[in-house]
Amino acid sequence: MRIRKIYIVAALLAMPSFLVMCTKPSAFSEDEYDPRLSGGAATVFDETSKAFGNMITGLSEYDQHIHGLGDNSVDQTFVTAPATINSGLGPVFNNVSCRSCHHNDGKGSPTTGTVTSSMLMRLSIPGTDAHGGPLAVPGFGLQLQDLAIFGKTQEAKVTISYIEQIFTYPDQNIATLRKPTYTFTNTYANLPSDVMVSPRMAPPFFGLGLISLIPESTILSFADENDADGDGISGKPNYVFDAANNKMMLGRFGMKANTATILTQAASAYQQDMGITNRIFPVESAFGQTQLDGLNDDPELADTLLDAVDYYLLTLAVPARRNTTDANVLQGEKLFAQVGCTNCHKPTIQTGVDVRYPVLSNQRIHPYTDLLLHDMGDGLADGRPDFKATGKEWKTPALWGVGLFEKTNGTPFYLHDGRARTLEEAILWHSGEAEKAKQNFVALTQTDRNNLVRFLKSL
Amino acid sequence: MKKLIFLFAAGCITVVSCSKDDNNTTSQTNFETLKDSVIIDFVNKTAIPGYEDLLSKATTFDNVVTALNSAPTDANLTAAQTAWKNMRSTWEQCEGYLVGPVEDDNYDPNMDTWPVDYVQMDSLLASANTLEVADIEALSTLSLRGYHPIEYILWGTDGQRKAADLTTRQKKYINSLTTDLKNTCTKLRDSWIASGGNYGAKLLAAGKGTEPFTTKKSAFVAMATGLADICGEVGDSKMKEPYDAKDSSIVESPFSGNSLIDFRNNIKGAYDVYMGKFLGNNGYALHHLVAAKNLSLDNKIQQQFAAAVSSFDAVKLPYEQAIFTERVQSLQVMTNLATLKATLEGDLQSFIQTNITD
Repeated sequence: MRIRKIYIVAALLAMPSFLVMCTKPSAFSEDEYDPRLSGGAATVFDETSKAFGNMITGLSEYDQHIHGLGDNSVDQTFVTAPATINSGLGPVFNNVSCRSCHHNDGKGSPTTGTVTSSMLMRLSIPGTDAHGGPLAVPGFGLQLQDLAIFGKTQEAKVTISYIEQIFTYPDQNIATLRKPTYTFTNTYANLPSDVMVSPRMAPPFFGLGLISLIPESTILSFADENDADGDGISGKPNYVFDAANNKMMLGRFGMKANTATILTQAASAYQQDMGITNRIFPVESAFGQTQLDGLNDDPELADTLLDAVDYYLLTLAVPARRNTTDANVLQGEKLFAQVGCTNCHKPTIQTGVDVRYPVLSNQRIHPYTDLLLHDMGDGLADGRPDFKATGKEWKTPALWGVGLFEKTNGTPFYLHDGRARTLEEAILWHSGEAEKAKQNFVALTQTDRNNLVRFLKSL
Repeated sequence: MKKLIFLFAAGCITVVSCSKDDNNTTSQTNFETLKDSVIIDFVNKTAIPGYEDLLSKATTFDNVVTALNSAPTDANLTAAQTAWKNMRSTWEQCEGYLVGPVEDDNYDPNMDTWPVDYVQMDSLLASANTLEVADIEALSTLSLRGYHPIEYILWGTDGQRKAADLTTRQKKYINSLTTDLKNTCTKLRDSWIASGGNYGAKLLAAGKGTEPFTTKKSAFVAMATGLADICGEVGDSKMKEPYDAKDSSIVESPFSGNSLIDFRNNIKGAYDVYMGKFLGNNGYALHHLVAAKNLSLDNKIQQQFAAAVSSFDAVKLPYEQAIFTERVQSLQVMTNLATLKATLEGDLQSFIQTNITD
């Protein structure tokens, strides 16, 4: 009898806690969050030229050491093998260190074939490989290496020329857009006539850890492949073969969401861009070509360094927004949503839980991307499919940090090939699924257009 | 007794805070003028004269190496080594303000890429390449250009180079490299002045709403960040990597044995940028700005700079050897640099955030 009473009392006492669990935790209202925190807890307050290179907080002493090791590694200039340090450059390559392209952990300049160039050309021929990916060009592979060590021949030289075109707004204001064309000269072997070429600028390094933690279900929830809601915007996930995991995975990185993991991205950049073989890609990019050095020194990169670089990229913080209380910026933010930019440039996403990285885990972030592929029209099309991405589709790029390019880069360049010199030009290049949003932007008054750009500059 | 001390202390604080308030209006105006003076002097008395001096050292260096090329005497070799060190000294001090074109337009890697690519250098020297300046400019890697390939040839792997050992091709090669260096330094100087890229004007326009310094605060933040960055570069990277790995092959200037002097000059350069006496040119600088509002912080920064610079003197051997036999002294330098960096990143940055609002 007494025991029963105790049970009842215990049950009664426990009830409030059950009831509490029943109530859903209420989210804060929008204005209770600090809008500056683009990366949630993984945000850093730095608006200098070094804004893209900050470590997230909360790392242990040893983890900070690994981050620092990765930081130093992305700085290292590689030299020709055999060498005692940083050995293995080339024989053909695009640049000599990670930061030579990713200037200040950022974007760089849209030039090719110089020591300060940040752009490369992806190549393929029609058809797909065993995994449904792009088909390599015989003798050239999937990427053009436009530099070579002394005495060897680069695959080709690339010259870029621009044709300027005038864009006239309904209010008679004008903007000058420039469209690039790429010409290959001095090819070391004949390029097939049906070669497809896609120019790519080096993207910024930061925020990748947060992007990798966005739940797959969240990204897929944005997808509308057949445009079922009839808003003219489809949004398609890319599924790509990931060499590090040896399986098909959802693509998150790269201009066409053509890479699934940071590790594969970094490893492929070492092997393709610099000619540094590693455990993920142990064969020289020039394998089978006349330039091959024939040294038996692969893999050239130590696993510890590759993993440290992977960790460095994972643990870079997102720079905080500036001027978030400025009336013009606030007006621009409103317009950004109203004209339809936020249909693809999703302002707010919650990252998934990963107890290994508390600062990246379960964060409310503002990447301004849906990580999906969209048809961007003929003007931007590269005509080179990449897994599920067609020759007209590009992944919505994240916009965080876009307002700091002038700081990190000196002269800023935007879009996948750096053709846009201002954010306004970048907007005006939008077409295809973004045509409607662009037209809405074009129809705004000049003041409102400026405010929208001001908002972008606050990111 | 304790109470008395407390009262006395409280009294002092009151007096101090009173006197501050009394001068508020005048010091406020002074502070506004001071801000402008600091930016003006940073451009005209630090940055531009720094690059002017670098160009003049580069010109001398080029002339001396031209002389060595035509008359390979040991005296000319020694003169070339001295000119290398002199130019290096100014360059390392200029790294105390890595702001603007020097980092935006890759002047740093153009002059100071490390390590040297020996395999390529051997094939270049063994080739029929004419080694003219245009040939140097056409090379596809910077690891064949700048200070370090020249250093390797001037000193040799053991630091015992004799003029007679230099081959005709080596002399021709370094002579083109020194001209290439001079050309780079000319471009760097020009990037700051009105007849060139005029970056100086961009800094002088700080706070007028134009990029890249829309606010005055952003200009001061950039200066302070430059100071902290070089402390990090030396303490966390250039010194720490060979120290941790106990590997003298990854020390920056191993052939000339000049690494420690390089490091010291980096920090001395930053110190002088902070004090407004860069290469002996006196002007207003961050030191005056901080001292105007927070004397104790200014003292703290000065002391930590002085401690960091002087701690280099305790390391007596070249750094390639010190990482094995003077580890305590080397570590002390790194510790001092870490302390200084923390102050520059913490206290100095918050001072700027608090006191410079336009």
